[in-house]
Amino acid sequence: MAAKLAAFKAVDPSRYIVYVGFILILIGFSIVLRDDGFLTTRNLLNIVQQTAPITVMAVGMVFVLTAGEIDLSIGPIVAVSALISAIVLRENFWFLGAFAGLLAGAAIGAMNGLLVAYMRLPSFLVTLATMGFLAGVARWLTDLKSVPITNDTFNGIFGAGTLFGVPSLVMWTIGIVFLGHFFYRDSRYGAHVHAIGDSPLSARAVGIKVDRVRFSVMVLSGACAGLAGLLYSGRLHGARYTLGETDLLTVIAAVIVGGTRLNGGVGTVVGALIGSLLMGLLNNGLILMGLSVSEQLMVRGVILLAAIALTLRETRT
Amino acid sequence: MKPRVQLKLTAIAAAIAALSTGAIAQTMGPGGESPTLASEVTLTDAEVQQIKGMDATAALLWHTSSDFVNAVTAGAEDEFKRLGIEVVATTDAGFDSAKQMSDIETVMAKSPSIILALPLDPTTSAQAFKSAVDAGVKIVLLSNVPSGYVQGKDYVGIVTDDLFQMGKQAADALAESIGGKGKVAWIFHDAQYYVTNQRDNAFKQTIESDYPDIEIVAEAGIADPARAEEIANALITKNPDLDGIYVTWAEPAEGVLAALRAAGNTTTKIVALDLSEPLALDMVNDGNVVALTADKAYELGRTMATVGAYGLIDKPAPAFSVAPAITVTKENVADGWKQSLNREPPQSVIDAMK
Repeated sequence: MAAKLAAFKAVDPSRYIVYVGFILILIGFSIVLRDDGFLTTRNLLNIVQQTAPITVMAVGMVFVLTAGEIDLSIGPIVAVSALISAIVLRENFWFLGAFAGLLAGAAIGAMNGLLVAYMRLPSFLVTLATMGFLAGVARWLTDLKSVPITNDTFNGIFGAGTLFGVPSLVMWTIGIVFLGHFFYRDSRYGAHVHAIGDSPLSARAVGIKVDRVRFSVMVLSGACAGLAGLLYSGRLHGARYTLGETDLLTVIAAVIVGGTRLNGGVGTVVGALIGSLLMGLLNNGLILMGLSVSEQLMVRGVILLAAIALTLRETRT
Repeated sequence: MKPRVQLKLTAIAAAIAALSTGAIAQTMGPGGESPTLASEVTLTDAEVQQIKGMDATAALLWHTSSDFVNAVTAGAEDEFKRLGIEVVATTDAGFDSAKQMSDIETVMAKSPSIILALPLDPTTSAQAFKSAVDAGVKIVLLSNVPSGYVQGKDYVGIVTDDLFQMGKQAADALAESIGGKGKVAWIFHDAQYYVTNQRDNAFKQTIESDYPDIEIVAEAGIADPARAEEIANALITKNPDLDGIYVTWAEPAEGVLAALRAAGNTTTKIVALDLSEPLALDMVNDGNVVALTADKAYELGRTMATVGAYGLIDKPAPAFSVAPAITVTKENVADGWKQSLNREPPQSVIDAMK
């Protein structure tokens, strides 16, 4: 009994605040919007599907933040990857289009990684610069024109398709979160990422290849943003230079609300998923409540502030 | 038939069509549709009664939030109220195609009978609106149409402001203010966006064809309105003797005005599209701003709601309805505000007029 009590006391409540908040908001909306289609399977699946690209980017961001870095360039990576895959798909097999988009994301991440890990430049400034550069590339690639995607296989795999009745965007969410969670918590790589975020000097002293891990988290973040670009373009059956433009703050908010620390060392992939779903839940519920756009923004801001305050306060204690 | 002859015949046919409808020939629909005046889109008393008994609902899925959108919303909401149609949701996609698709999916949970929306981009909007089309929602489009969509089948009708006239009237107003000759700059919206592209090009086309003594000596595109001031600074530095500047819409024009003020420039004239309090105040105080051209946004919203109601009762709707443009100067600022946004000008402007 005493052992059970001790184990119970050892549980860190800060890690569960976001889950409790999420469930409370879900229950709140379910009561208020009981007659407005909120609790239908279709609407709840919509929330997961709509947040799939944010969730995928959030998983990459958890690794980056835990390693004590940040990636501000994910928004335009989404657009560049989506456009490149759409261009390649005009005349090629679906796999080539998807591969090209993912490769573009990873390659941009590698460029960021080289500058951060090997040139020793701060990731905040490097990715701030590449964010601007890539926004220009996205506009220049097709001269602002949208590129339609008519490849049904691609659109099915990355957009509106289903497998055994489960929408593909839900499958992507589950798959990426599962993989991310495993590598983050249970692999040697994840342990290295944590160690570097805690103390790069100590990590180096115990033989961790700090530069290589820093490089890799930037590549991972770029690849995740590239995959998010594919998910957006598959969903919309086309790519456009504005895709991902407004996602950066949503992704960071989702990750922080989920319990990942902005200055490294601590994080959670499942928390990031919950944070991302929370953002989608708020968007969805506030629209269904029939609020005006201004009211939606204000209410969302207040709820997010409360969630962040709770998460960060508990983390500090 | 030789292409040039064919072109002339097409132009004559368009002119005849324009005369017969009483509309302006130049603003054509995204698919080349001829315009119908918004004032011709009406419902009979019997039709109003029929619609009132339908318990219909509507959702407003906007592309952004602005004074213009507020006025369109007000016009639509007033008309929906008159018709006994409840507005169940309003959204703002923030110019993001993916967010617009999410908004549509979310709103479909409330099964609205009518959707009023501005599709952000023809290519990606085709998929974004598909769930609403499949569910048989009566969709009324503002200015833009998704690729491959057919009027009467996928959507009820398009309503827009008279984009060509807005650009043309801005050109006429600027030309008049500088005596029909001089050097002007053209600050356009550097994006693939039907509404601003049409208006910007109409200004340029009018100056080039109607005003041989006016030269466009500088062109600058803006993608981010917040950067308008620095773009204007560069323009003024390179061309200190500019007589006039056209700015694509009000928000960047406020930045251009700030740049002129900072440079102590009181002679270069500004024309811009859409109404804005700071610009109107400068205009009333005899500053750099000489005219603002605007659309009748409230009327546009009313027309969209009425076209939606056409869809409910299967009344054939015009493919492309146009709300007229107006030029607002110091002389007609109060009336212009009323006509465009259906409200009085801001108090600061009223005070400055006294």
